[in-house]
Amino acid sequence: MLTNDRIGGLLLLAFSLAYGLLTFDIPLLPFQAQAAFTARTMPEALSVLGIVLSLTMIVKPSNDARPEVAGFLWGRGAIICLVMVIYGLTVRPGGFLISTSLFLIAGILILGERRWWIVLVASVPVVVFFWVLMTQFLGVFIEPWPEFLRG
Amino acid sequence: MDMINGILTGLGTALSPINLLMVTVGCFVGTFIGMLPGLGPISAIALMIPITYGFDPATGMILMAGVYYGAIFGGSTSSILINAPGVAGTVATAFDGYPMARSGQAGKALAIAAYSSFSGGTIAAIFLLVAAPSLAVVSLAFQSTDYFALMVLGLTAVAAFAGKGNIIKALVMTVLGLMISTVGTDQTQGVQRFTMGMIDLTDGISFLLLAMATFALSEALMQVLRPKSDADRKREMEAQKNLGSMKLTSEDKREMAPVIGRSSVLGFIIGVLPGAGATIASFLAYGMEQRIAGPIKGKLFGKGSVRGLAAPETANNAACSGSFVPLLTLGIPGSGTTAIMLGALISYGVQPGPRLFVDNPGVFWSVIISMYIGNVVLLILNLPLIPYIARILAIPGTVLIPMILFFSLIGVYFVSFNAFDIQLMVIFAIAAVGLRLLDFPMAPMLLGFILGGMMEENLRRALIINNDSWSFVWERPLTLSILVIAAAILFVPMLMPYISGLLKRRREAAGEGG
Repeated sequence: MLTNDRIGGLLLLAFSLAYGLLTFDIPLLPFQAQAAFTARTMPEALSVLGIVLSLTMIVKPSNDARPEVAGFLWGRGAIICLVMVIYGLTVRPGGFLISTSLFLIAGILILGERRWWIVLVASVPVVVFFWVLMTQFLGVFIEPWPEFLRG
Repeated sequence: MDMINGILTGLGTALSPINLLMVTVGCFVGTFIGMLPGLGPISAIALMIPITYGFDPATGMILMAGVYYGAIFGGSTSSILINAPGVAGTVATAFDGYPMARSGQAGKALAIAAYSSFSGGTIAAIFLLVAAPSLAVVSLAFQSTDYFALMVLGLTAVAAFAGKGNIIKALVMTVLGLMISTVGTDQTQGVQRFTMGMIDLTDGISFLLLAMATFALSEALMQVLRPKSDADRKREMEAQKNLGSMKLTSEDKREMAPVIGRSSVLGFIIGVLPGAGATIASFLAYGMEQRIAGPIKGKLFGKGSVRGLAAPETANNAACSGSFVPLLTLGIPGSGTTAIMLGALISYGVQPGPRLFVDNPGVFWSVIISMYIGNVVLLILNLPLIPYIARILAIPGTVLIPMILFFSLIGVYFVSFNAFDIQLMVIFAIAAVGLRLLDFPMAPMLLGFILGGMMEENLRRALIINNDSWSFVWERPLTLSILVIAAAILFVPMLMPYISGLLKRRREAAGEGG
């Protein structure tokens, strides 16, 4: 039966195996081959430990609990993740003020808010206030405008 | 004499206007964030770190200590008002706090929580004043082998205290954290590990990124996936409107006094132990008081008992102070929250450990003193303002969640100004959501990540000092003792069911034979 422990165990077993395989890519200088501790030692030990522990979880799960995901809004979660990724890609070229305001407006709308005054009040003034706080009071320079408006 | 000088130095630093302002701001911000269900001190402190980068280390730590206390208090408030603990450490608070609030005594419950927290924090701060310097002096004799062993102890203790059936899960998460800590350039040999040729990973993964992604961001994503029902929202609105009186009767005070004394001591001791912390302290204190209360008073537990509320509230605050002992004296965090504080200290260029006491007495003492000041601020400022602060519960999730997402993402971006970090955060947050759904604890991973680099460094140094020999494990008594304790903490709970089963069978066999 696919319990929480078994699913997690399988995922972490795959991760540990991939991690273990990648340890062979860590370069070692010739004189380090016989050393007791090299850049590979800890990763090798960890991959073995990860494999043993995840196999233990698969073979002997602690309980029969299964993931409870009924009623989850997966589509909405995926869109929010996508918006975050787009924000990451646009925050530099688009400038802080516009890209962050759009990110907040999109987030608030996706979560179901339809009152426009709330959408606008909770986004643009917050972003401007935060930008003023960071640049004027904490001395952190943040480019406010998009690339095409910069001098 | 040194201690008195230290206290005076700490008082001088902590009572400077800027630091007083910081601890006050920290308490407020912490209370706000801690009140939001799911967001605890780890998220609250993580959200503060980017803002404190330009600060003096003492000021930054004082702000974070305020946030820590504030978040615990905020967690208690949401536990009492809406039965939704913001932090695991305040789950036990809801057992009696929520029934009290439902019977129209929310104000009284909040006052009991605040006075108990204040008293627990005060008593524990005195213990901390005595215990931390003494332990720091002793730990000056520690060598890298002992540090390696201590880190093993810290990691195994976290796993062992994870709860029944969760030991393997916590261990796996610890190993996962250790694995993530190896990404980047190896500090001694300068070779790249697990970077897959990506320049953005050359410096490794920042602890702030990991903390924000696995706590604040993943919690916000969970709330996106699992929205609150209309009934929940209505309940929250009602709770913050009707608080009732905050006055305590003399009978309440008489009942609370001995509970506070006992729970403070218990909480502090539990807090000092690596891996234990506020959650275990609050549950143990609750259980202990229920047993001591006797059959009549004991029956009130779970139905709005004053003792049942005072005990976990005192213990969780005392444990918070206690958890600073291993952090400040050994440089080893005992919990997820102190792990993130350790990361913050390192990012300020301060190396926690026994030398902190010698090299940075200002930071050492001012953090200890500000713990107490944080308690005072909570009592005299936050408690009267609770009816207003509780209004945060009325902010709709549709606005609050995007704000949390924004502060989490931008907090990390402002440190590196690297858009790759935002993408990486999203990946970690999605993975964390998956692991949370499968009931995997996040704190051990963060602890493993933060201790990973130091553990590897100390092990490497120990091997160099011992000519590549592992004999230090059994030749140095202190190292051996710590490792034996670590093994006992890890294996005894695992083997207990088998041992008790074996003993039971033997007894039964002996009974049949006799």
